[in-house]
Amino acid sequence: MALPKTLQPGLTPDELTFLAEEETIDIVPLFSMTRVRLLGGIYGPFQPPSASRVPLWLALSLKRKRKCRIVPPEWLSVERLTGILKDEKENAEGFERLSTRFIETSKVLLDVASDDLSQPSILRSLLKDLREVRQAKIRIGLQSEGVMRGSYLQVTNLTPLELSELKPFLVKAMTMMQSLEPRQEEDEQDDAGQGLGVGNGYGEED
Amino acid sequence: MDDNYFSLNSILADNHKLSCTFTLDVPGLGYLEGGTENDIHQHAKVELPFWLAQTLSLNEFTTFPLPPPYTNRVKSALNASAQSVKLANLVGGNGWWYRWGRRIADVLDDEPQADLLNVLLKAFVNRLPALQDLAAHHASADHTLPENSTSSGEAFRDGMEGDERELFAIGQESGKLSKGWYDSNSGRKGGR
Repeated sequence: MALPKTLQPGLTPDELTFLAEEETIDIVPLFSMTRVRLLGGIYGPFQPPSASRVPLWLALSLKRKRKCRIVPPEWLSVERLTGILKDEKENAEGFERLSTRFIETSKVLLDVASDDLSQPSILRSLLKDLREVRQAKIRIGLQSEGVMRGSYLQVTNLTPLELSELKPFLVKAMTMMQSLEPRQEEDEQDDAGQGLGVGNGYGEED
Repeated sequence: MDDNYFSLNSILADNHKLSCTFTLDVPGLGYLEGGTENDIHQHAKVELPFWLAQTLSLNEFTTFPLPPPYTNRVKSALNASAQSVKLANLVGGNGWWYRWGRRIADVLDDEPQADLLNVLLKAFVNRLPALQDLAAHHASADHTLPENSTSSGEAFRDGMEGDERELFAIGQESGKLSKGWYDSNSGRKGGR
């Protein structure tokens, strides 16, 4: 195939970040301008004291030129993240529901506009904790019954970014398991826990 | 494991040598045995590549016992501790233990076939957690530091067969990609 190997399985984190930059966010501009028509849509008008809603990429670009202040989304606050982290820890069975572009958005905002956020270092460590808790759950999930039987992995509420890290490995591992699966259906049932249960009825294992 | 016609790995895995016994005399093929005789005699033992042995065995010109990497001895070792069996050593440094096992299973009758596949599947499943941990560890580890190769993870890594190595590389690569993204800082890059 013509694509490089790293791009074949799906989207890369950078591509996902690019997609996340299409989401809209509120900014308070530091300059005035009337409506502006760009290829992607019509943005503005920009009038300093009042906020306006623009795509994230535009907000970041303006922010880098120090022409706006980004209004952080309401979930990107210490209280909300502490709450999410607590729920995530308590919920041992599954994953907490995060907005689709949660990780990407929070990362670029912390990278580019950390001075617009309150207590960015605490936010950073909360996000890191959250990631670690979820990673630990993924790791446990990978060794769960479902994966071991080559059938499924519980990924409800994982964000596309987390999936992109997991997918190449999992797809290959599952393909291998499926190709090693014995072909007869009745054998599979005999065989739920023990690998060698198949020959039992005949008593002539070699 | 793709059995794609164009898959180089499949072709290479078919090349593992299998020790076969001829059930009839074959004139003119003595060179397969490596000797100076002109003919192959009945009951002669010859090491044949699997792709040849398969066809001959399906036509009942040859028979073969289960090759050493899949015998009961290995089976018991896998049952005892799947992660410490060095599959790579069983099939030669660059072999494909699972692939070849599956190809052999294709030739076998129903019951031994299911047996063999179960051994393969169980081995894979039991080795998967170690493989996954190792890939994750290598994706995040700092490779500028010298590593101590005494740990069990490194021992496991030495024993990986062809497809496991590939899986390891895939896991490591995607882990690295993600880590690189988390560590990157789009604030410093200026306009992107």
